[in-house]
Amino acid sequence: MAGDLERALSKLRTDDQVLGYSLMTKIGRPFVSFSFPGDLFPRVKDSIKLYKSDLRLMTIDADRGLVVLSPVDDNWILTVLYVPELQLGLAIAKTKNVMRLLEGIELPPPPEEFEDSAERNLEVLQSIAIKAASIAPTAEAQPPTPEAKPAYPAGPSPKAVPESKLLGPDDFQVLPTTAPKRGDMYSNALSLDSELYSEMKRAYRNFGFDVLMLVDGNRTVSQIAESMFQPNERVSTLLKWAASKGIVSVPEAKEKVSQEKMSPSMGRFVKCPLFEGDLGKAKSEDLRILKLCDGSKTSEEIAEAAGVPHPRVIQVLAQYRRFGLKMIGKTV
Amino acid sequence: MPKIENPLLLSLYSKVVDQVLSQTANIEEANRRLREIGHDIGSQIYLTTDIVEKTKDTLMTREDVAKLVEIVFRVLYDKRPTSIDMETARGSVRVTDASCIWCQEVHLEGMHGFGYCEVFSGILESVLAFKSVEARVFQEMCRATGADACEWNIRLL
Repeated sequence: MAGDLERALSKLRTDDQVLGYSLMTKIGRPFVSFSFPGDLFPRVKDSIKLYKSDLRLMTIDADRGLVVLSPVDDNWILTVLYVPELQLGLAIAKTKNVMRLLEGIELPPPPEEFEDSAERNLEVLQSIAIKAASIAPTAEAQPPTPEAKPAYPAGPSPKAVPESKLLGPDDFQVLPTTAPKRGDMYSNALSLDSELYSEMKRAYRNFGFDVLMLVDGNRTVSQIAESMFQPNERVSTLLKWAASKGIVSVPEAKEKVSQEKMSPSMGRFVKCPLFEGDLGKAKSEDLRILKLCDGSKTSEEIAEAAGVPHPRVIQVLAQYRRFGLKMIGKTV
Repeated sequence: MPKIENPLLLSLYSKVVDQVLSQTANIEEANRRLREIGHDIGSQIYLTTDIVEKTKDTLMTREDVAKLVEIVFRVLYDKRPTSIDMETARGSVRVTDASCIWCQEVHLEGMHGFGYCEVFSGILESVLAFKSVEARVFQEMCRATGADACEWNIRLL
């Protein structure tokens, strides 16, 4: 968590147009700061107090520069001071870029007592996060058990209830080149008052909504991730979850073969020769082999079918590589 | 059929790809494995070539990254990349090679999404890491699967 937060905030530190920043609590107390002028804190605090829970992204035109405030979540507010000559739109865009990075980080609430802008505050936050993570699984373990047994009306026979198989996120295959389509539950997920939206908001905050807005059946995962300055993996993870809820439609992962003894494989990768040249110009002794080069047989299979040794087939393939013969790789 | 460049490299790499495909469960995993192999090779390349002398110790801008890519191409392949695109996406640098050495005369069917040349993604990621640049590199397009050129996306983190 601390590493990710540090990485997100480093975007601001390395930006020449940023004079300083401060990650503040919801009441305006600076927790982690970098070159943020102390005399601006009261003004920022007043603005936060003014809007309270209605605070959205706002800007303050100060003598020192342009201040952009944005709530990260219910506990944190990011405040950035930009150079005075920076255009407002650009300042907001830069802040939103950092906000997107922060959205992916589970920030714990601030400790009860801390020293304003102290260097070790980040470590304190990290230890709070670790402690929270070590408690969380035991809390989650309890609810599922009462729901564990599905209530079948009669007998233990599974074929009595032909329900459609519920697919989990891991049952889908999402590649950078996959173009997700909108699913049946797409509109429902975007309705602010729906349960599905609430579930998505809890798990992914605004990131889920932002990604879904970009799903149109044409944009690939890579394009969506790029436009949001996010890694492909993060978008893929969300889309797999969304697919499991019927919000989007993506290809299912191929069934894995039983892996007790066999190591998992996507199918045998083979190379099959395909002759596309002019058979009329080929030597008569090579015709039998060339006619079998249809892109569906391996060189070993051709040798067996033609009744010739395998090296002979390789000789012919090598000879005709310059005359219309190519090797096609595929999995079978 | 055009003259094959570096047939020994092609043959060895073809063997590597065959092995990876026989040991992995899906295309994503195969891509990842090839990138890992590229990481290992990247260390060797950095130690044995003069990339370190020709480039700055630390890279700060996307222009620096583009320059590094050009140098890597020159050192490894004695040529320039077909293009380096920094305009399309602000957080990325896209590298294109219309005469990619890794997938010469390779034709794949039904393997959409497979990056035959992902090993080069791993090499770039590794070399960038030595220059203190955090990035994810992956192959977006490959001639082996029908594209006009091989294209890698260097996504800066």
